[in-house]
Amino acid sequence: MTQSIFSWLDERLGLTAIYNTVLDRKVPKVNWWFTLGSASLFLGLLQGITGMLLSVYYVPTPDHAYDSITFIMNGVQFGWLIRGLHHWGASLLILTAFIHLLRVFFYGAYKYPREFTWFTGVILLFGALGMGFTGYLLPWNQRSYWATTVGTEIAGTVPVVGDFILRVLRGGTDLSAVTLSRFFSLHIWIFPAVIIATVITHLYLVIRLGISNIPDKDS
Amino acid sequence: MGSKYRSPTIDRRSFVKIVTALLGSMMAAVVGLPVIQYFISPALKKDVSDDWISLGPLENYPLDIPTPFHFTLTRVNGWERSSQSYGAFVLRRPSEEIVVFSDVCTHLSCRVSWDPENEEFLCPCHAASFDKFGGVTSGPPPKPLNRYEIKLEENQLFIHFREG
Amino acid sequence: MKEEQKQEYKRKYEQAKQDGVKFWPDIIYKDLLMSFGLFILLVGLATFLGVTPQPKADPSDTSYIPRPEWYFLFLFEFLKFIPGKIEWVGTFLIPVLAVLALFALPFLDKNPLRYWKNRLAGISIMGVIVLGMVGLTIRSVITTPKQEEVPIADTIQEQIILGQEFYSVYCVECHGPDGEGGEIAGVEGLEGVVLKSISSRDEMYTRSDETLEAIVAYGQQDLGMPPNGLAYGGELKKAELEALVTFMRYTWDDRVDIPEDAAAARAIPEIKEGEVPSYEVHISRIAQRYCISCHRPGKENNEYLMGTYQEILTTGDNADNNMIAGNLDSYLIQCITGESIFDPETGEEIIQQMPPTKLMREQYIKIFEAWVLNGMPETAVEAELLTSEGQTE
Repeated sequence: MTQSIFSWLDERLGLTAIYNTVLDRKVPKVNWWFTLGSASLFLGLLQGITGMLLSVYYVPTPDHAYDSITFIMNGVQFGWLIRGLHHWGASLLILTAFIHLLRVFFYGAYKYPREFTWFTGVILLFGALGMGFTGYLLPWNQRSYWATTVGTEIAGTVPVVGDFILRVLRGGTDLSAVTLSRFFSLHIWIFPAVIIATVITHLYLVIRLGISNIPDKDS
Repeated sequence: MGSKYRSPTIDRRSFVKIVTALLGSMMAAVVGLPVIQYFISPALKKDVSDDWISLGPLENYPLDIPTPFHFTLTRVNGWERSSQSYGAFVLRRPSEEIVVFSDVCTHLSCRVSWDPENEEFLCPCHAASFDKFGGVTSGPPPKPLNRYEIKLEENQLFIHFREG
Repeated sequence: MKEEQKQEYKRKYEQAKQDGVKFWPDIIYKDLLMSFGLFILLVGLATFLGVTPQPKADPSDTSYIPRPEWYFLFLFEFLKFIPGKIEWVGTFLIPVLAVLALFALPFLDKNPLRYWKNRLAGISIMGVIVLGMVGLTIRSVITTPKQEEVPIADTIQEQIILGQEFYSVYCVECHGPDGEGGEIAGVEGLEGVVLKSISSRDEMYTRSDETLEAIVAYGQQDLGMPPNGLAYGGELKKAELEALVTFMRYTWDDRVDIPEDAAAARAIPEIKEGEVPSYEVHISRIAQRYCISCHRPGKENNEYLMGTYQEILTTGDNADNNMIAGNLDSYLIQCITGESIFDPETGEEIIQQMPPTKLMREQYIKIFEAWVLNGMPETAVEAELLTSEGQTE
């Protein structure tokens, strides 16, 4: 029975082909440092899940952002866990992604034929930093308000167009409801869309080119 | 390292399968079970209001005419504090019997109003009507208008308000 | 990279693959263990460290020391080394060049060799950069001054209690302990002004929380009420103003029920016949509500402070006579029972009745008298001992 369902599905979805190309392939022997890429992916997925859950109660307006987070922490069961995972997951993700980058650098894995994989990886690192920067404002507490004030101010020091960039980031001269709303949109829609597309490309390249091997003394 | 996991009954591949399933379901459980609570806990919290509300001296209410009274209660819903308005009709019978109706239609919770010409309560939503004593005279409502428990203290009228 | 080098790499890589393992199960197994380890770490961090609560954003409170997420700290610290005139070099030029270099790394590094000993130059540059980043991050953590702690009231109970403290400090003098208003006495510049009640139904029903907060923050300067919001020259931050308004709303608005634990935490306990009151349980709360608005530093109060047990007993121009154990002629007792104190030599009034506007309730005066008669115990334990001694005698 199971067998016939499987073969019916396999004929239409090509499950065996996927299994053969993705899972049942030969790869070089590698060490534990090579697990950090998948660890970053895992943490990224967890961020996605906890982020979606936080959006059940979070409201991106200056009137209610802080209170809604207080409600998540005190009023909802396990709200502290979901927010705690999201908060710490962000830091851990930056850390694993950065060490992953250092590993790739140390083994020269960005060289032929994986230049483009490196390229997508750097995009992902900056995507994660962008998520960190925009997400930091959302709790609308003193720390986030003043850090973002200074952070956007830094962008404002760019010669000639600085003031323009500052106003675009903040949606006006001041850090306001408009800023919070656009940071929220960037944080839950725009950055994730870019990141998901880039992750897919990154993974496709890893499967297509195979994971790099640990270089020997002559290479 | 493959040989380490080899045993007469279980090969490496099945071992990894079992570990994967085990750790995977552990993580799913650690996140998944709290998530259920996370979603439903606001629904389980009963916000109970239980209060005697003063409607003022009895003389304020004319005899035998249902007279509206409004009161406001502040409620905390999540991160929002809001004032909700409630309405009641006070009917003082010549026999000194006092009845206080809620103005919420028992059909779909629209607010009823008193029509003095036809001497009936009218619900604007589905054209229902109730008589002076709250009984259904026409339309879909399943039961008469709700009555509040009342008490009199030094000629002051109170109703017992409960919700939740 | 030349064509033959590419072929050479491909040949070697194929060989490594042949000598290698299967993605499933070997690689996935390791990945899974790593991810699971991180997951446990994460749950541990979320459970045992949690997220430190922060006060609500307050654009008027410029005393807050901005600090970015830890992974931006190195950049933040780096800017300290760039002179202000060419700030843009640090904020723009160097970061942009670094980002471009990172993207273009495969094209900048033309060396076909991959083993680290064959790429010492590249590895050292990266090493210096990474060490620099770590060093700057550590330096930033060390040099950033500690943020002054701000009380955070998360729940309504905490807000009410905090708000009451602010009310006693900033409002009681004129508006009275229960917001009842009346004729102001003992406040410079407002002597004799009659205030209407701010706790009436009229007031509570017609003003929203936002309006109340605005009034407290701006003050009503034409009527003599000073501003209290930090942004307008007062001392209260936004979160503190909100706590104050929450206190007013929950205490005076009869449409709102005060949460039970908040009521219990701020109530002044009654004493039974023969029970000895203590500073800890009784006096501190009465003083908090009725006295400290004037009897705190910076007010005209004959230097008599009532913020702590020691202050009540030992401060003030008349410290010797204010509190005398067992003596109901202590100045404090005379004042709160409505007597004025006169200078024995000049005959001038040196202390008027206290509180100046209206005497406290009878039961609170009784508590003070019982406290002085029993030698002014500080803690509840001492008071309990005295109580039981009194009963066995």
